[in-house]
Amino acid sequence: MNESTAVLAQAGQPNPLMPHLPETIVGLISFAILYFVVHKYVVPRFEKIYKERSERIEGGIARAEEAQAEAQRTLEQYKSQLAEARAEAARIRDDARAEGQQIVEEMRTQAQAESDRIISQGQAQLAAQRSQIIAELRSDLGRQAVDLAGRVVGESLEDEARRRGTVDRFLDELEATSAPAAESTKS
Amino acid sequence: MSTRVLAAGGGEFQPPGTNSVIYPPFVAGITKPMVLLVLSIIIIGVFFWLALRKPSLVPGKTQFAAESTYDFVRNTIGRDMISGKDLRPYLPLLVTVFTFVLVNNVYGFVPFLQLPTMSNPGIPYGIALVVWLVYNAAGMSRHGAFGYLKHQTSPPGVPVGIKPLVIPLEFLSNILVRPLTLSLRLFANMFAGHLVLLVFIMGGEYLLLHGGVLGMVAGPVALVLSIVLMFFELLIQFLQAYIFTMLTANYIGGALEEEH
Amino acid sequence: MLEGNIAILGYGLSAIGPGIGIGLIFAAYINGTARQPEARSVLQGIAILGFALAEALAIFGLVLAFVFM
Repeated sequence: MNESTAVLAQAGQPNPLMPHLPETIVGLISFAILYFVVHKYVVPRFEKIYKERSERIEGGIARAEEAQAEAQRTLEQYKSQLAEARAEAARIRDDARAEGQQIVEEMRTQAQAESDRIISQGQAQLAAQRSQIIAELRSDLGRQAVDLAGRVVGESLEDEARRRGTVDRFLDELEATSAPAAESTKS
Repeated sequence: MSTRVLAAGGGEFQPPGTNSVIYPPFVAGITKPMVLLVLSIIIIGVFFWLALRKPSLVPGKTQFAAESTYDFVRNTIGRDMISGKDLRPYLPLLVTVFTFVLVNNVYGFVPFLQLPTMSNPGIPYGIALVVWLVYNAAGMSRHGAFGYLKHQTSPPGVPVGIKPLVIPLEFLSNILVRPLTLSLRLFANMFAGHLVLLVFIMGGEYLLLHGGVLGMVAGPVALVLSIVLMFFELLIQFLQAYIFTMLTANYIGGALEEEH
Repeated sequence: MLEGNIAILGYGLSAIGPGIGIGLIFAAYINGTARQPEARSVLQGIAILGFALAEALAIFGLVLAFVFM
């Protein structure tokens, strides 16, 4: 130490370009150690991180694309389903409409038939009542007329057969004369 | 050097000389730069160890700092200069050069250390020698010894007549002078910056103590300016580390380059 | 009165050329960046490289100044 300071003092200003060899050697050794550490440890770690990161990003992009495709597919599916449902609904509506119409038609014919039936039944009943009434009236009128005639003539008409024939003839004549009148009242 | 100034005492101002970067050894031949060199690799090692202890895809603070450093070397410097797949084998060298030079430069800014290790020429010489060996070896293994010399010394498109002139010049500039300028640039910048700072600080101190009335005014100004200069030096220190690494990458890239 | 070495004067002279050169390089860099701000990152590397190469000449001056001191 003393020696070197003495040298420095003697030289005054030493040439700064002259390397101090031990320092160069220490510098090279430290550099080599640092290089070893960086080569073995630092750079591989960093490269690994970089790689992982880029892979992560690429993976993320791939995943996002996949998700988008999936969404697209689902949308298509949904749309087609919607269209199907719409067509189905329209079909059902048409069917329902047709069915309703059919039902109305059926109802109408049924009601028509029913009413026809009721009308005809009524007519038949009316006809039956009419013929009954006519029969009753006929017998009643015959008896009355015979009673009246017997009282008028004063004699009892014994001969039943003859009497009936007379009354029937009378009534037929009567009916024949009143038929046009009855026709007009009926309508 | 402060002892020198004190020895000079109240007499003539002794400007800081070249010996202000050359320290006598403390013990057994160990000098201040040696200690700083060892300290530098410890600092860098611990820094990367802390950053990469638990590496995660989403970096924390330390990891982010380390990653920015690495990214700067890899993508800003390396990608520009060395093309494609060739970069990966030389990446450790570039990272080592950058961090090593940067930390050793920034010592000039750190209080109590205050000595850029690179202002001792021995260390830049050593690193430049390594770089010189690496880029020449890279070129020779890529193109063969003769092919590499041809590649480096005769640029394409030069007329045959000028070739005798161009070839020695190119050989001089590409093979011989490169390691010299590489190391001397770093050394000279650090050395000059350190000297300028010393001139400002010691001169300011001298003016303040011995300069009379004028010195009482000029001394503090010089001291304040020295602080400004120190920050300027910080920029230079970073820039020199950047340039050193970039030139290393450039030399390697140039040696590996395919013939056009 | 004046002390020192004439080699330092040589360094001063050798610094003129690189000084001008570096000025031109950065002037071009600033111009380029102003015209095309997006080209900044590309230009930066080239400018620093040019700066380093021009600076080499000044370094020769410094080295020779010390060598002949």
